[in-house]
Amino acid sequence: MSLDDPWRPRLAARARLKFDPIANQEMILFPEAALALNETGAAIVRLCDGARSIDQIVEQLSTKYRGDRDALMREVVEFLGMIRARGLLQ
Amino acid sequence: MSAAPRPYTLVAELTYRCPLRCVYCSNPVDFHRSRAELSTGDWKRVFSQAAELGVMQLHLSGGEPVLRDDLTELIRDARAHDLYTNLITGGTLLDENKLRRFREAGLDHIQLSIQGASRESAETIAGVRSHRKKLDVARLIGKIGFPLTLNVVIHRMNIAEVPELIGLALELGANRLELANSQFYAWAAENRRALMPTREQYDRAEEIARAAIAKYRGTLEIAFVQNDYLSGEPKPCMGGWGRSYMCINPTGQVMPCHAAAVIPGLHFESVRDKGLREIWRDSPAMNAFRGDDWMMEPCRSCSRKEIDFGGCRCQAFMLAGNAADADPICRLSPHHGIVEAMRKDSAADEPLIYRDVKTSREIERR
Repeated sequence: MSLDDPWRPRLAARARLKFDPIANQEMILFPEAALALNETGAAIVRLCDGARSIDQIVEQLSTKYRGDRDALMREVVEFLGMIRARGLLQ
Repeated sequence: MSAAPRPYTLVAELTYRCPLRCVYCSNPVDFHRSRAELSTGDWKRVFSQAAELGVMQLHLSGGEPVLRDDLTELIRDARAHDLYTNLITGGTLLDENKLRRFREAGLDHIQLSIQGASRESAETIAGVRSHRKKLDVARLIGKIGFPLTLNVVIHRMNIAEVPELIGLALELGANRLELANSQFYAWAAENRRALMPTREQYDRAEEIARAAIAKYRGTLEIAFVQNDYLSGEPKPCMGGWGRSYMCINPTGQVMPCHAAAVIPGLHFESVRDKGLREIWRDSPAMNAFRGDDWMMEPCRSCSRKEIDFGGCRCQAFMLAGNAADADPICRLSPHHGIVEAMRKDSAADEPLIYRDVKTSREIERR
């Protein structure tokens, strides 16, 4: 994945985002397990709508999370790579 | 008593009825005695109580859950409680209409079993003609847009087909392939000699699976569920007794897993009589092996006790005669010799015991 990657991520068909009122956090649910997301993770996944590119996701997030845009980009790329490796993004 | 842990997963065994006769079936050998299935209203109450308890995942299982004529209604209800709803099916009773109804009701995912890569091996295991229908249904599932997990129980009679099974999963467009080596409970325990792969077969299959897992990462997720007799590693069964997982059988008994009824002396309470929260939290059976107070040596002082929880309680009972013993799969168990003998006790041409009502009655009589 690079900065000009045309990938427009969205949750895989088998995965679903659900708010867990008991633990007070968002989770990605899929058949065998669930992945708990912290606030940033949830914000990233909510932007994975299949229309936005990684660049646009970072752009959107940078309005909310101040700081170094390159660092944010690295964080987003790493995070999305991790959940893609688990087959939860397409 | 400390606060009960939170359950995440509910396996709802809607019925023990099934058109297949698979020789490795995990339903109890005496299943023919279970007649009065929970009603639609009972299950709806259970789903509501489960969601309140924190359950996220619901597996609708059986027997063959498609035999319940209220299945669409149950799916709709489960989704109304925002449960991630997975249908575990043999597929032979599905058609496009039913699948579209399930889709419309909100079903999230389908796990379809197949018994082998070739019609001959598959139908020898299933005991009925079924293979072609299953392949047709797998294609329909994809066409309608459901994510699909293909589950294949692996054993001596189909373990050589692992490469073909991977090919089939790719061809059918499955998202995930579970190569689930047979675990030896219930009907699989009756058929253990016929099902136990040889060491050579097992190591070869594992090597092929490992290579395929890496090769198809991102395209097809492949899970190789180990045969603990041959891997030698005690499994962290159910992630620990009564920790995150519960199973409710067709008559409403709440259990930590589907096999737990083999352990004598445990009384599994029913959702007909009590609320799910009370049963999960307080029932003596659900608490019997929670935490580690029950552990004996070598588990009690073992550094792995939080990793494998001493292995499987049912297997400890079945092989060592005491459910609180270390799972004899562990080489530290004083009963490990039994496992060493059993892992070599594999035979071709062993007569197969098929899972059906008639045989269930016969086994009970003997």
